[in-house]
Amino acid sequence: MNSLADFVVVSAMLLGIGIYGLVTKRNALRLLFAVEILINAANLNFVAFEQYAPFAPASTVVSNAVGQTFVLFSIALAAAEAAVILAIIVVAYRLHQDVDVSELNTMEG
Amino acid sequence: MLTASIVILGAGALLLPLLQVVKRGQQQLAGYILAAILAVSFLLIGLFTMSPTAVPWADGLLSPDQLGGVFALVMLGVTLAVTVASFDFIKTSSNPVYYSLLGFTALGMVLLAYSDDLLMLFVAWELMSLPTYALAGFDKKARSNEAAVKYAIIGAMSSAILLYAISLTYGLTGSTQIPMIVSYFAIPAHQTALAGVAVLLFIAGFGFKMSIVPFHMWIPDAYEGAPSTVSTLLASATKKAGFVAAIRVLLVLATVYALTKSPIFSLANVFAALALVTMTVGNISALTQKSMTRLLAYSSIAQAGYILIGFVPFAANPTSAAAALGMTGAILHVINHAILKGAAFLAAGLVFLQLKRTDLGAYNGLARRMPITAITLTLSFLGLAGVPPLNGFWSKLLLFLSVANGPFWWLAVAGIVNSAFSLGYYGWVIKRMYADDPDSPGRVHEPFWFVVVFAVLVGLIIGIGLFPQQAISFASGAANSIIHG
Repeated sequence: MNSLADFVVVSAMLLGIGIYGLVTKRNALRLLFAVEILINAANLNFVAFEQYAPFAPASTVVSNAVGQTFVLFSIALAAAEAAVILAIIVVAYRLHQDVDVSELNTMEG
Repeated sequence: MLTASIVILGAGALLLPLLQVVKRGQQQLAGYILAAILAVSFLLIGLFTMSPTAVPWADGLLSPDQLGGVFALVMLGVTLAVTVASFDFIKTSSNPVYYSLLGFTALGMVLLAYSDDLLMLFVAWELMSLPTYALAGFDKKARSNEAAVKYAIIGAMSSAILLYAISLTYGLTGSTQIPMIVSYFAIPAHQTALAGVAVLLFIAGFGFKMSIVPFHMWIPDAYEGAPSTVSTLLASATKKAGFVAAIRVLLVLATVYALTKSPIFSLANVFAALALVTMTVGNISALTQKSMTRLLAYSSIAQAGYILIGFVPFAANPTSAAAALGMTGAILHVINHAILKGAAFLAAGLVFLQLKRTDLGAYNGLARRMPITAITLTLSFLGLAGVPPLNGFWSKLLLFLSVANGPFWWLAVAGIVNSAFSLGYYGWVIKRMYADDPDSPGRVHEPFWFVVVFAVLVGLIIGIGLFPQQAISFASGAANSIIHG
């Protein structure tokens, strides 16, 4: 039997993995993956809370498809975001033949 | 009126790229069209804000109150100034998409200013952010691209963190509507740790946009590498959008933290510490910069610290008189900072456009070469430092007064010390412009549209400085609309 705690723990682990990736990786594509993992951690939270959470009084007032709706919006936005960032990374590759962000250091100070 | 202005902004931004299909090389026309659209929506929202109706709108997704009105006007005004300055700045590129992206950013910021639901807030946040990633890399040169890569990845990270914070809030309350979250907030004792995590993630998510230390590391690179008009937009408009989102969600945060009741990590202490660190780090880093855009970027970070001071009394006690005063000061400083920093960044952008240099040496003797730019830069610097009778003085006065009579009096002292300190590096640049000899003599052409924008911004700097009463009552109306419902 699945319980809310399982989902929240997995989601927290995804959050941890995402932040670990953002901190340690220097490849722009890997950084993008890490961000996508963070977004999916939040998405998992939304659907799990929607399904299992024992909500406070607010739930009696709100019709509760909010979690799923939010996830649909968030997936679409994440796709748009990935498209823009990949386009920028493609330009970076054309300029430097590399997508290592630690090479991008012409402006320091 | 609000609907009309949102519709024409959206339609304009969507249709502008079609100009490219009809006939190539129409970027000037696209600029004029966008400027007209922005001016019309500015007027419509201005008329609407004069007689606000604080009823929920669009099924409670948007709340058309005065707070939203003030911020929408600031952001549309900045975008309009950026668009007009771009007539001369973006001449070399022949793509109306630039103006279309500006239009989308403006639409996102207007929606964000009014949003009253975390779902709307997140969608508007992304609508505002995504076009600016593309705009930052618009040059496709190495520096512009470097700025875009850093800005886009950090921006995406902040959106993801924000999304996680929203998911936790939803899990704790079962709603994403901000008034609903506030009124029904009742967290069992064992979940307060989770609520604390949500609050910290909110602060981090908004903090990246608001350029709060320690979330500021991308700011100088992004502002320096991006085209100067886009840096103006980032510093004066999208950063303010971070503040309006934070003010809207702050009500939730204050409620959550009142429940956790941790004496050291109270929200007021967190904001006070962030304000102190942000303004100090910003000012000290600005002092050692050799490039004008980086100096402005760090001074922009320092200003975010001053604005945060206004959040402290609200977080400590949302119903006190000091809270209203602090929030008024914060909103007024947002308005003033948008005007001052917009003027300073556009002046620096014009110097870069004409002299192809951003180092401080380019500013030697600027008063003789580009007198209008030099006087604009001087006035905006004095305003940023808070010298009376310019507009920055009044908002800083309100901010410092709001904390002076409470447990956070040391913030007022730190703020005044920081202002005096910042006058050091501002004064140094002003001395370069007026006292030093230029590297090469001769007047430099100052394009017509830049001069128009400078004249309007300088008029606002001096106007609000001499007659602050109108602006203060405007800001205080906005502060009351958030404090009293």
